[in-house]
Amino acid sequence: MTTLQPRPGAAASLLGAIGGAAPREGGGVVTVPVPAAQLETAVHHLAAAGARLADLFAADGDQVTLRLVWGLDSERQYLVTETPIDAPEYPPLSDIAPAAFTEECEIYEQFGVRPAGGKPLNRVALPPGAGPDLRGVPGGRPPGPALPRLGHQPPEAPGEVHAPHTVGGQAFEFPFGPVRQAGVESLYYGLVTSGEEIVDLYLFTWHKHRGLEWRLRGRRPAEAMFLAERAEGLSATAVTWALAAAVESALGVQPTPGALLTRGIALELERLYNHAAAMAALCQSTGLSVGQAAAEIALERLLRLNATTFGHRYLFGVLDPGGVRRAPDQAALRDGLPGAYGELRRAADALLATNSFMDRLEATGIVSTEQARRLGLVGPVARAAGVPIDCRLDQPTGPYAAHPPALAVRDAGDVLARFRVMLDEAADSVRLIGDLLDAGPEAGTAGLPGGGGSGLGWAESPRGEALAWVSLDDGGRITRARLRPASVRNWRGFDDAARSQNVFTDIPIIEASFWLTVAGTAR
Amino acid sequence: MSAEEALAGQLRQRVARQFGRSLHIRTLDTGSCAVCEQEIRLLGAPHYDLHRLGFFFTPAPRHADLLMVTGPMIRAFGVAARKTYQAMPGPKLVVATGACALGGVYQPDAFVHGAVDEILPVDVWIPGCPPSPLALLQGLLVAVDRLAGKVSGLTFAAGEAPQ
Amino acid sequence: MPLWFARGLRRGIVTTRYPARPDSSAAGLPTPPAFRAGMLDHRLADLLVTVCPSRALRRDGGVLLFDVGRCTACGRCQEAAPGAVAPSGEFELAGTSRADFVKKIELGPEAGQ
Repeated sequence: MTTLQPRPGAAASLLGAIGGAAPREGGGVVTVPVPAAQLETAVHHLAAAGARLADLFAADGDQVTLRLVWGLDSERQYLVTETPIDAPEYPPLSDIAPAAFTEECEIYEQFGVRPAGGKPLNRVALPPGAGPDLRGVPGGRPPGPALPRLGHQPPEAPGEVHAPHTVGGQAFEFPFGPVRQAGVESLYYGLVTSGEEIVDLYLFTWHKHRGLEWRLRGRRPAEAMFLAERAEGLSATAVTWALAAAVESALGVQPTPGALLTRGIALELERLYNHAAAMAALCQSTGLSVGQAAAEIALERLLRLNATTFGHRYLFGVLDPGGVRRAPDQAALRDGLPGAYGELRRAADALLATNSFMDRLEATGIVSTEQARRLGLVGPVARAAGVPIDCRLDQPTGPYAAHPPALAVRDAGDVLARFRVMLDEAADSVRLIGDLLDAGPEAGTAGLPGGGGSGLGWAESPRGEALAWVSLDDGGRITRARLRPASVRNWRGFDDAARSQNVFTDIPIIEASFWLTVAGTAR
Repeated sequence: MSAEEALAGQLRQRVARQFGRSLHIRTLDTGSCAVCEQEIRLLGAPHYDLHRLGFFFTPAPRHADLLMVTGPMIRAFGVAARKTYQAMPGPKLVVATGACALGGVYQPDAFVHGAVDEILPVDVWIPGCPPSPLALLQGLLVAVDRLAGKVSGLTFAAGEAPQ
Repeated sequence: MPLWFARGLRRGIVTTRYPARPDSSAAGLPTPPAFRAGMLDHRLADLLVTVCPSRALRRDGGVLLFDVGRCTACGRCQEAAPGAVAPSGEFELAGTSRADFVKKIELGPEAGQ
């Protein structure tokens, strides 16, 4: 398994390459101002050094400021480059870091600045018709209902980029969704097929876009947690942890060790029930109803365990900026966890012994190591493709410094590898919960001081690294909140995985193995 | 009660008896956070098993009797929501599920209508964030008149004698 | 498949008897609040209105209007006024008329009177 390790001191060598800038450091994050003229050099340099582009977003102010978040995983750091953009175009980045394409489209829609080079961008979050007013333009049209943006409207509507059809010459394209089978989220995608084989698959997410980043502006951090939980409800703990950590980093607050242990327990419980739900979805997608029922029994027991431990089946309302609102019911958790995990383990063991099931999973939906790195995938999807990243280990915060998890990595990159990674992680979560319980979790919130600032926060959700960046004004209200649940990164991988030699009936299986949500990317 | 109202009441009772024996449910997500969908999926799980009550999920609106709607009705989704409702043959019921669908969580603004009943005619409202599968079962049974709704009789005032 | 069948038989029945019998798992669920009318004055009611993140509370003169439909059972109102607000324990909340969900709670006198 080849791994590309970032050379030590990537931050220092970046500063050497662009010269002159004075970085700010704090809380495991190095922030480097980079002038627009040197942005391309900086991105080349970091990409060559093996840094992982974790996020790209913009913020409005006197000028649009572009921020790139890089994971320097072997140095246990994040690096944030800040670049003020005072022109309508900035240097193209997705040629160097293909992981950035979706974010470039998002920035164009919300702030009106685009990468140079004239490459067409996709419509991402805002529906057709939300576009700019093209009445004066030949062939143009008046806009639909006005939709608020985080910055300025783009001067032209985004186009649509689709991959070329190159299978046997004859392929047709049809949109699928957004209303799909019972009990799943709305998901709208375009399917390009030559009959049975999938040539291309591209997602639309504007039908679920609730404008959460726009809603969070002007709110206090404590109020913002309520909405952040509901950005991607199945990762409520991880997203609120990332946002709370960003606020704490901005204000220089550290929760108590006992509160951090409680956060860890909640996050591991979230990981457990999500993996059980993914297992149930995998069984449903392969038509194994009995396995699905067994997995659902385990899932229901885990959700009831969440309810008795933290008072909510999906762990809403546990975190607060500065700490946690509730302490776990330790006796109930110790009592209930072995039984609930035992159900999960027995169902998983039976599935791993069922050949008809395993045959459907093997060599399906393959994501190669190179693809996973190029697209910046995170979480079990990346780990199953041989990319050994886990922000609990790479940038340990909270309880994970003293209680590191075991890294679950596989090589094959197919659905079976992702399933095995999830099972390994579930077993490790049970061990971690036991260790964290022994260390004495508590409730409690450190009061937030006045004043403002900006900061980056992160947590390893069941789907991968969830990031948040927040900027607070002097009154302590949010001026810009960036939420990046793991689904934002990983849906790109879904396109690629579905395309690799698969047929229609494989799509639900691949979707279940990725276990992403549309809500997380459309937030 | 006029003759028409009496007839409408009888018809509703006949429909409810039919629905109560076998009801096909179509789900519609208009912008939820994915947790309500997970609770709805658990209705088919062994712990709750909606099949024992004669309820079934169906992927096709043509076969559906009841539309279970989650989410705050994102404006961009309105066309898809109306088309799904219109594709269902009558008689049909609409159940708004979860706090988002009932007007909570999100304020009506440029992105969302805020509540499902802004776009679709709703017959039953089920609160909760998320409504647990037991609450969903109660809501479905109320929709087919197998259970009487309790919420009208609840006062949410502590310290009074129970209803 | 015989393996699964035998496993299922050994597992037994986990299905709830609801609605024929109540289900004990309901006891662990968060529920909307119940308000002690006499303990809430206008000032406290106004505080609760601002604390609710889902706009379920509104004060209309001497009456607190509580929209159960919008409530997410988050517990913030109970944290803000622990003596005056407690969980109702009610989870069977479905209804056929939207107006049935808006409850009126008579408030105590205005603070200072």
